[in-house]
Amino acid sequence: MRRWLAPLLLLGSCAQGPDRTEIHLQRFFGDCSAEYGRSLDIGGAEGECGIVTTLLNRFRAENPDIELKINIVAWPGYAQLAAQMAANEPPDLVTMHQGLITDYQTRGLLQPLDGVLAQAGLQPADFTAAGQRGVVKDGRVYGLPWDTVGGLFHVNTRLFEQAGLMEGGRPVLPRSADELLAHARRFKAATGKPYLVQSSVNDPATHTRNLYTYLLAQEAVIFPDARHVRLRTPEAKRVLELFRTLEREGLTTTNQDNPAAIASFLGGEGGVFPTGTWMIGPFDAEAKTPGRPLYGAYAVFPYPRLFGREASFVDGHSWVMPRRERTPEQEAAIARLLRFMAERNFDWSRTGHLPAVQAVVDDPRFRALPHRADIAPLASNGRLLPPYVQRQGAIEGLIGEEVASAVAGTKSVDRALADAERRVNELLASTL
Amino acid sequence: MRTARWQGLAYVAPFLILYAALLIFPLLMGMGLSFYRADLFGAKVWTGLGNYGRLLSDPVFLHALRNTFKLVLLIVPTLTALTLALAVALNRRTRGAAVLRGVFFSSSVLSVTIVTLIWRFVLTPDAGLFAEVAQALGREPLPWLSHPDLTIPALALTTIWWSIGLPMMLFLAGLQQIPSDMYEAAALDRSSRWTTFRRITLPQLRRTLLLVVMLQTAAQLQLFGQAQLLTAGGPSGASRPVVLFIFEVAFVRWELGYALAAAEILFTLVLLATLAQYWAARPREDAR
Repeated sequence: MRRWLAPLLLLGSCAQGPDRTEIHLQRFFGDCSAEYGRSLDIGGAEGECGIVTTLLNRFRAENPDIELKINIVAWPGYAQLAAQMAANEPPDLVTMHQGLITDYQTRGLLQPLDGVLAQAGLQPADFTAAGQRGVVKDGRVYGLPWDTVGGLFHVNTRLFEQAGLMEGGRPVLPRSADELLAHARRFKAATGKPYLVQSSVNDPATHTRNLYTYLLAQEAVIFPDARHVRLRTPEAKRVLELFRTLEREGLTTTNQDNPAAIASFLGGEGGVFPTGTWMIGPFDAEAKTPGRPLYGAYAVFPYPRLFGREASFVDGHSWVMPRRERTPEQEAAIARLLRFMAERNFDWSRTGHLPAVQAVVDDPRFRALPHRADIAPLASNGRLLPPYVQRQGAIEGLIGEEVASAVAGTKSVDRALADAERRVNELLASTL
Repeated sequence: MRTARWQGLAYVAPFLILYAALLIFPLLMGMGLSFYRADLFGAKVWTGLGNYGRLLSDPVFLHALRNTFKLVLLIVPTLTALTLALAVALNRRTRGAAVLRGVFFSSSVLSVTIVTLIWRFVLTPDAGLFAEVAQALGREPLPWLSHPDLTIPALALTTIWWSIGLPMMLFLAGLQQIPSDMYEAAALDRSSRWTTFRRITLPQLRRTLLLVVMLQTAAQLQLFGQAQLLTAGGPSGASRPVVLFIFEVAFVRWELGYALAAAEILFTLVLLATLAQYWAARPREDAR
């Protein structure tokens, strides 16, 4: 029966009728149509791309009166969105990082969602505190929060065992910068491999996340006001010098972009891969596949406390509605889609991201997912940048580029921090 | 007479209208906006020459400008010499030459996405073709896409491979215009191959050569896709050309006025390069 159900539902979704309401959705998370293009089995989908593709397939199948047109953009797609908005041709719903909502909201480019969410039977109190902080601006809701994302230490426990860095079956993570270096040297001596696997090429987000996380841990004020960043500080220097030392001493992989770093970690070429929540699903799947280098050897934790207090820089994904003319029918269709997505927030949380719907956080099914107890502190330690900081995406690119120079040694740490501060301040000063 | 003139104008009017609407008007609008601090969404504040002054003291823009010149200097002479040599070698009526002409031209039909994908497989230091060869020879693979000294040569290599087709075809067309009796006379005089090439082929190809150099200089000053997709301008701006700078400033940083000022500087450079090459060619043309 199930064999026939999927094609029938798809067929139903393809039926053209005069009363179909058309809405345009634009998303990132990649294109995996070859694998999931026809899939309706949400529970069987894996990874961000697989799950979001299957969710949208299912929505189409269950709502034949709505013609959902989907445009998949290359990560992160904001240049394309900005061009669409400038041309007054934005889509109806877009995936957006919560840190970027202010940029669009302050320019009147986003439509408040209070009414649409009410129509969908949702209210801000349904979302987690982090989710609410991410989407509520000036007292109005500008997005459906979908998750909280942050950086994690993904650990190869087999290599940690070899390096004598396991205790009671759990990896021993460093508790200071000096201890991190000591562990990394010991790890390399024991395994011959670098302690860290890092995506350091064309990945400004990783460099910026590392810097923000360890600045927040030191209680540093990164953005004293809306027009200034403060990076020429002993706290920032301390963080960059640590990563520079790791690179100089060969304690990290080098010259790897994100796909290469992922391949390295999967191949057992290093001990710790500091990357995001979104890799829990794929890494856990590898850890359950016999014969793979990561088989039975995977654990994951929030970034360890190397300085000051425990803290993590976090952000989140959300669905926002660009401002444009719409019929009441289109708004109703969007409300149905948002309700559908919120109701399936548990399925999305299987990616590794923390849910944005409070009921899912409290759901025993979520807590039973692998590694969720280990990463739970991310929910309480996670911190966003202050809401008055605009242009967070562009700033991430500028800071990431300069941090990469310092870590690679093409610029001194002082010079890189000064350049990053100057470039960000120029950007903020020119913001209209 | 007057009617004929109006008829002529009517023939070219559709093109002129489209050309003005799609090229001249945006060009003038861009020039105007370059004097404003403007964002993508219509907000703007008059700043006069402020954007230009800021650009000339912006180390990132100046770095991008240097990168662009390096790319032009690496690509244009190499590409011109290589395609001229290929055209001379393949300018014969054999099946093998025809096949090879097709093979060398084939890369030109690929989109920049495919080209960069192919070259990523070649250049990536983990499992790329160059890395495999280096390891087979017992050497460390070179980080072509992440070392500040190697990214520009990597972009140049990719661009040369991609761009070989059109200049080669232009040279082949030029070679086929050279009267065969000139070569016959040279053969009677027992002229060597090199002398024939230097005294007959090269002077006869002078206009084609100029065209190729001019087209390639203008094209490489606007190099963008390869840099964006292969290196994203990195590491730390080491391979960021001016057009990528303009793209980032306009669409990532939303500083439209500033990006347009950079675009105007690039436009001036392309114009100057083109005019300089015309000027360099003119005296000899007049002398003939």
